[in-house]
Amino acid sequence: MKETGLSSGTLYPLLMRMTDQGLVEAEWREPAQPGRPARHAYRLTAAGFALALQMPGDGENLPLKGSFA
Amino acid sequence: MTAAVSRAIMVLAVCCMGESRREWSAAMQAEFETAVIDGKPLLFAVGCLTAAWRELITAEEGRFVLTNYALVLGLMVPVAALQIGCALFGLPYLYPGRHGLSGALLEGGAHEALVRSIYLAAIPSLALLQLLIGFGHLRLGWAMLERDWAGVTRLATLTLAAVATLVLFMSVLFLNSTQALWQGAVLVIELVTVFIVARWHAHLSPPAGTERPG
Repeated sequence: MKETGLSSGTLYPLLMRMTDQGLVEAEWREPAQPGRPARHAYRLTAAGFALALQMPGDGENLPLKGSFA
Repeated sequence: MTAAVSRAIMVLAVCCMGESRREWSAAMQAEFETAVIDGKPLLFAVGCLTAAWRELITAEEGRFVLTNYALVLGLMVPVAALQIGCALFGLPYLYPGRHGLSGALLEGGAHEALVRSIYLAAIPSLALLQLLIGFGHLRLGWAMLERDWAGVTRLATLTLAAVATLVLFMSVLFLNSTQALWQGAVLVIELVTVFIVARWHAHLSPPAGTERPG
């Protein structure tokens, strides 16, 4: 969330829509440090990655696998 | 203080998210703990509430939740209040003649001496039945919000039976069950509406093992 610079009110609806459309997938991951809550991590699916590549400008900056939250 | 308010807002946000978004609610709550550590819980919680409200408006399940709350708060609770008010305070809506309990007892009327003892014996039971119908409405509304449709069916059946009893007894005692029939008509409209809402919920949440088309 810090990396995107978006607020939770903007980011979560976007992630939910993209997940519904099969562009993003989410999974639970172990916390980075003991005592911290588990993280809900998101990454582009193949369809999402293909769509992102079609977008002008930002294709070269796409992470192959990234955690947004 | 800020943390407590933020947690309250997060609880509200989670409540507003539909059943199909339970995992997202859990994700928000997990991320909220990180926001608390980062010192920005309020901003994060308000954002989550905004996201939940967007879901309420845009998703069919959200519209179902809003409709369900509107039905309970706009119909079930007022009708329950009316029933309880009639039972406790003798409001004019229950008894024939629109003169409340005193009108039902025919106070000052020519027939008062003849029917007073009978009415005095019957009216407490009718008022108790009316009170039960009122509380039944409240419990029915609560079951609707919990989406406990088996409970809704059970309570609706009991309420319907109670109203039918009230109509019958008022017809016999007062020879005029107009007011009770009105209440019965309102109840039928309520139950038809509840049935439609239950069908809608069944459409949104099909039983396990069945797939919804689309």
